[in-house]
Amino acid sequence: MTRLRSPNLLPMLVVALVVVALYYPLMLLANVPVAQRALESGAALECKTALACASQLRSPVLPSPQQLLQGFRNLTFPLTAPTSILPNAWATAGNTLLGLLLATVVGFFFAIGIVASRAFERSLLPWVVASQTVPVIALAPMLVVVLGQYGVQGALPKAIIAAFVAFFPITIGVAKGLRSPDPLALDLMKTYNATQSQTYLKLRFPASVPYLFTAFKVAVTAALIGAIVAEISTVGFQQGLGRMLFENSRASDVVSIWVIMISSAILGILLVALVGWVERRVTPWRR
Amino acid sequence: MAPVGARGMGGVRRENPAMGWGLLAVGLVLLLWFIADWWNQSNPASPGQKLLIWIGFLLAALGVARVAGHLSDRTSNPLLGFVPAGLTLLLALVMVEALLRAYQVPAGLIPTPTRVFSTLWDSREVLLQDARQTVLLEAGVGYLIGCSLGVLMALLVSRFVFLERGLLPYATAFSSIPIVALAPVLVKMLGLDWPSKAVIVAITVFFPVVINTFRGLTEINPLSLDLMRSYAAPEAQTYRWLRLPNALPFLFNALKLGTTLAMIGAIVGEFFGANGQGLGFRIQIEAGRFGFDIVWSAIIVASILGIVWYNLVAWIERRLTGWHVSFRE
Repeated sequence: MTRLRSPNLLPMLVVALVVVALYYPLMLLANVPVAQRALESGAALECKTALACASQLRSPVLPSPQQLLQGFRNLTFPLTAPTSILPNAWATAGNTLLGLLLATVVGFFFAIGIVASRAFERSLLPWVVASQTVPVIALAPMLVVVLGQYGVQGALPKAIIAAFVAFFPITIGVAKGLRSPDPLALDLMKTYNATQSQTYLKLRFPASVPYLFTAFKVAVTAALIGAIVAEISTVGFQQGLGRMLFENSRASDVVSIWVIMISSAILGILLVALVGWVERRVTPWRR
Repeated sequence: MAPVGARGMGGVRRENPAMGWGLLAVGLVLLLWFIADWWNQSNPASPGQKLLIWIGFLLAALGVARVAGHLSDRTSNPLLGFVPAGLTLLLALVMVEALLRAYQVPAGLIPTPTRVFSTLWDSREVLLQDARQTVLLEAGVGYLIGCSLGVLMALLVSRFVFLERGLLPYATAFSSIPIVALAPVLVKMLGLDWPSKAVIVAITVFFPVVINTFRGLTEINPLSLDLMRSYAAPEAQTYRWLRLPNALPFLFNALKLGTTLAMIGAIVGEFFGANGQGLGFRIQIEAGRFGFDIVWSAIIVASILGIVWYNLVAWIERRLTGWHVSFRE
């Protein structure tokens, strides 16, 4: 979907240009009152008029493009410093993918249970569904502390929370996939006198792969949110975009928060693209 | 699915359900007896007692499985159909209570269910006030704004091909962005009061609504469109009689998803600053000072309200789209 197709390119560019063109006046409009107030309060500013100050406020309502560029440069170089974006984004991506792996294991467990036994479905599925109408994310601050008390530290608690948020779409997707084989194919397995495990290994699992990837695309975003929230709640020195977000939010470094927000957006898009790439690799027959 | 389902519980179905109820009762009595016995103890239970707890749990779990297998075959009554799920919850709560007491996990770390419920009752006024701020103001107002803007946008995008090509790819890209990253920016921009969180919620629910409604407005049987054309129906009537009704089921999917997203958006938004009340604020503050009984109470309140809200939307959906295939028997 995100792949650019030629008829979309021109309209997309036009929309992007309009947004960029509107951004600058909007930024000035939002910042001038703040700048005016700063000037009136007699703060020592280098600029003379409110209009000139509007693009260089320390905590702007909307940061100006120059500030954003400057912020990106500050947070990107040196590339491997603990406070720069690259290692933090790498850590968050790692937590997210580890969480996705855990979520897949749990998701398969639940999906097989649901497909194989109606009793299992009846007694557990309502709670699995209910757990999704519940803000699962609210558990994150507590889970981090409790898991930390029992010595679970490092990437694992964050991955567990990411998995907690992400397992539901996977469960539903895989359950759908396991049920998707043609009844004729199932009958064929029966005429071969295949055992349950053979039916699963040779028919149901392969049939569920496309569904699994559709679910992954939803789940990876959810897992990223989970990982970031988990990082926010973790105490002590840790790496991750969530940690950066929290610290810069504490320090009221508005430009940096914007930069981190844009970076995590890019990370989200990259992760979804990664899933799409793996999908094309694993299921070439679906093109 | 039928053959596997039948084989999976073939053994269960021939049994008398009374057996299941009996097992469940014996298991529960074992667990409850232990809890009552250990109510005022402060040292861990002996290995024998722990074994007893696990045996009780296994018996009760087997009982639930039997009852569920029996009930799921012969009832279409939703109330009876819910019995297995209710039993599972009951069993889980009793088991957690027994385990926490047997291993004497400090109440500051994982509070027992009974403790959580008594805290919930004691602090109900504070929590209700928090819920009013989080659910009614932040999530509710944001949800209404985000959904209305989303529907408007979908209508525009479906009407003008240029917008479809120029905006929709961005909307799809936006849906893969972690909303939490938006929260600190918006809280800094709009202040600590509830409107900043309402804006977060509005942005969160906006994109799924646009994408889903757009699909509903455009994925239309070509024959129906041709029919409208041969009636020489103006665009407005095509929307009124064909596109909008077709979009309703898609829209409601997004609206149901949106209730969850709205709750998450409001609660996470409060993690980044609130004006001293709100469920997310309460959770953040109390988790920081090990007040987990309040945290759990806040989560219970948020969950119940989330479930009620979801079901409210689902109820409206049934009223408005009762004609749709997915509701026909």
